[in-house]
Amino acid sequence: MSETQRPASGDGFTQAAGTQLALYALVAMVVLAAIMALLSFAIGDSSASGGGAIDAERNAITITLRQEPPQLDATRSTDAASFAVLGHVMEGLISYDQKGQLIPGVAERWEIREDGATFWLRDDALWSDGKPVTAADFVFAWRRVVDPATASQYAFITYPIQNAEAITNGDLPPTTLGVRAANERRLEVDFQQPTPYFDKLVAFITFLPLRQDFFESTNGRYAADADMMLYNGPYLLSEWVHGASMRWTKNPLYWNDEKGFLDEIDIAYITTDVNAKLNLFKDAQIADTDLVAPMLPEAMERRWHIDRFMDGTVFFLEFNHRDGRVTKNKNFRKAMQLAQDPSELVYKVLKEAAYIPAESLFPSWIRGAQELLRREHPPTKHEMNLAKAREHLELARQELGLDDFPPIVLLSGDTPVSTLSAEYYQELFKRNLGLEVRIDLQTFKQRLAKMTSGEFDLVLSGWGPDYDDALTFGDLFSSWNLNNRGRYDSADMDANIRIAQSELDPVKRSAAFGEIQRISYEDVVILPMYERGWSFVVDPRLDGLIRRAVGPEVDYTYAKIRSASQNGDE
Amino acid sequence: MTQHAASGKQARDFSELDSAREVQTLSRPSLSYWQDAWLRLKANKRALVSLFLVVGLLLFTLVGPLVWRVNPAAQDLDQVSQPPGVDRVALIVAPYEPWAGGSTPGTGLRLAETATTQAVRLAWDALPGAQGHRVYRNLFPVGPERAYGIPRAEFFDNATLSFEDRLDIKPGTYYYTIVGLNADGSLSDQTAALTVEAQRVTTLAEAQERGLVAAEATLALGDSVELAAHPLGTDYLGRDMLARLMAGARVSLFIGIGAPLCFVLFGVIFGSVAGFVGGRVDTAMMRFADFVVALPFLLFMILFKIAFGIGPGESGVLPMLVALVLLMWPATARLVRGQILQIREQGYISASQLLGAKTHYLILRHMLPNTLGVVLVTLTFAIPSAIFTEAFLSFIGMGVAPPTPSWGSMSNEGIKTMLTTPHELIFPALLISITVLAFNLLGDGLRDALDARMRNRE
Repeated sequence: MSETQRPASGDGFTQAAGTQLALYALVAMVVLAAIMALLSFAIGDSSASGGGAIDAERNAITITLRQEPPQLDATRSTDAASFAVLGHVMEGLISYDQKGQLIPGVAERWEIREDGATFWLRDDALWSDGKPVTAADFVFAWRRVVDPATASQYAFITYPIQNAEAITNGDLPPTTLGVRAANERRLEVDFQQPTPYFDKLVAFITFLPLRQDFFESTNGRYAADADMMLYNGPYLLSEWVHGASMRWTKNPLYWNDEKGFLDEIDIAYITTDVNAKLNLFKDAQIADTDLVAPMLPEAMERRWHIDRFMDGTVFFLEFNHRDGRVTKNKNFRKAMQLAQDPSELVYKVLKEAAYIPAESLFPSWIRGAQELLRREHPPTKHEMNLAKAREHLELARQELGLDDFPPIVLLSGDTPVSTLSAEYYQELFKRNLGLEVRIDLQTFKQRLAKMTSGEFDLVLSGWGPDYDDALTFGDLFSSWNLNNRGRYDSADMDANIRIAQSELDPVKRSAAFGEIQRISYEDVVILPMYERGWSFVVDPRLDGLIRRAVGPEVDYTYAKIRSASQNGDE
Repeated sequence: MTQHAASGKQARDFSELDSAREVQTLSRPSLSYWQDAWLRLKANKRALVSLFLVVGLLLFTLVGPLVWRVNPAAQDLDQVSQPPGVDRVALIVAPYEPWAGGSTPGTGLRLAETATTQAVRLAWDALPGAQGHRVYRNLFPVGPERAYGIPRAEFFDNATLSFEDRLDIKPGTYYYTIVGLNADGSLSDQTAALTVEAQRVTTLAEAQERGLVAAEATLALGDSVELAAHPLGTDYLGRDMLARLMAGARVSLFIGIGAPLCFVLFGVIFGSVAGFVGGRVDTAMMRFADFVVALPFLLFMILFKIAFGIGPGESGVLPMLVALVLLMWPATARLVRGQILQIREQGYISASQLLGAKTHYLILRHMLPNTLGVVLVTLTFAIPSAIFTEAFLSFIGMGVAPPTPSWGSMSNEGIKTMLTTPHELIFPALLISITVLAFNLLGDGLRDALDARMRNRE
């Protein structure tokens, strides 16, 4: 078409419309910028008047909690958030010091024998209403834990106590539990079997006390609200706005001067969003935050003092050992074992600075008889070997009589780290073994349900320690443990776990753990992936924040605000 | 003009016709509906550009994978989260061997071996008064504020005086510091620092496996090879972004074009039947359409996923397609019905009927062609919305199953590392935006071009 026939008006129209559009965009941008400036001014103003991360005048700090505790009844609590809160507002017979060693709590001293234990309670341990904490409070709480009506998920942890298992199974009444108050100040425990690690066990949340008269006065609403609880820890839960915030204040009746230095701890935000927490930390709204790998360059650029701690959890690929699954075949599992290397996962895929490649079911910090279990019984050195892996796969093919392996279902959580690992393994097993892996992403609850019902071939799973003893990991793959989701069942493994449970000689016990470690590698019960750790940063004005593997993972009971002169040193 | 003259003198006849032809050339050529529409579309620059974009996109999706033959699922772990256009030369080194540590000559914090992207091996002498050491790594020089960087390892005794760092080492400079530990595990003032220049390396076996050099090539240690090229960089697992974008485009366009084609076709049939038949049938059919409009899409998407027995790790693209087709047609149906109702009352329909035209002739010759413009416009507007729906569903994890990429799922992954490696988010997001914009502008242009009333009005 020639120029003359072109619709001149159309061009002019387009131009006019374009100019108008540009004008609109400009106005919109200016208005937006103005609103943002106004908002940031307003927010900046409010933060100046608000508490902020560290308030030296009020001797208070502001922190975040990963999620809201469903309730705070220690006999039924199972999640890390509840443990973190209970660790500050309650105290059991025994607690931890700054270095993670056991120290006296409500119990002044204790004695552990082959057939039982005795705890002598201190006089000055008081409930927040002024009455003393007595042996009967522990008896009442522990009976409640094993009572089938309570349906506590942690009932199994009390099984070393006489009759606990039978009571939980409904065979005996709760009053037959092997624990009694000899008098107000003396608690006697009878064991089902020798339990040399019982002191470490009672430091766990499930063994906290509970006072019967108060519990009954709450009409079943115990620990559902701040005023529905009695406290005996260094802090009191003074305010609990469900879904929004919490406030812990110093407990004036608490006996120990070595704990609880802050007057107030505000939990102003309940969020799992690490990015949101990072922004709050940058704005000096919270005292500490976790850092994930992508945040580290910025943290270094800002010259933050980055620290790290291992939370004690070991992550592994767990096989389904049930009948009818290809993963029941040992050669198949061996092939998968030889086709992977956890260090590649940690160093090149996950890239989390605080993770370390796992070498065994037992994490590196677990202690044996005298020193680290890892030194006493070093785990088998794993090396990737593709040629051997393919040999084992061929053997498995023959044993199973299959031409082609069915797709392997890899069950995984939906967190970023899980999905990343799952995608890595999917491609790894495809490339190295030619196996088709299907990823089944599920939420935490749904994943647990599927693990329990056995709807998987492989599952990305983890196990955190409940108490500071190798047995917390060691009994995981016993045929009777319900947390053994792959239903691994071997007489050899069971025999060693029985020794580990009841042997009193620490050296023999450590040897049993060494055996469990060896079996779990040689029989390929699991494929260890990594030991989880966290990079984190704390406001330089706060001192004494503790993060540890066993017990509440974050502990502010020893935290103090540095005085101004100390601050000057920084 | 007589017969006689005409047969004898043809030249004169033609000269008269010549003048007649001149008159004809002054008038416009006879244009069909489509020719006319095409002319007007061509005159619309925006629409034309977006048409080229759409064609380019189709080429990118269909021809691209034939040209760029890279497996979108292959992981190149040596080049993870690599932005586009980085130097790719790597030295050949021996395969990684575990390092036991041990003594190395020299004093202070020193390298036991040349630092490479495979490993940085450090050795040091015990610091004065230290009961142990902590190793830090930093991307920036350590200043007076004593922010040493990322803690890499801790040793609570002086038995271990070496450390091997293998964590995600990229070619470049690292600042390592070792800090002495006091007996209680706190940091002492004693430090030693070392600046390390890491070199990009690979092994011969890896180079051969990835096809960087010929299988029989004999390269000595220290020779350099060029690593696999990734024109648009790589994602968080070292997968080629370009290949993934092409593979993702296939999913996005399959949903984006397949679903609208199906539901627009159904909508046209449904709407024209309702509009043509009219009366109670029309009322009933349109109430049914209203009912479908009220059904929540996301819920049905999930229901279909379950009903289809889509197991774990299988793609949810088919239920997405079905859900889109079953729930998205009423808009088209309403539009077409309205159009048909309008056309039915036009004078030329009555005229045609009076001349004895049959029903099927009326529908095929008059009704459908006159609604075609509306239908095409609906179609081009439905495409971007379907692409967007797919992106959204994959973004929230309801769509494709890994490792199949889609632009939506790629954006979802990219957003996690938005601050450090923005290219993983920018490329898929850009493609989604461009595609949606192109189809929208094209639809806009088509609406103007196909409007029959604007015909010949220039």
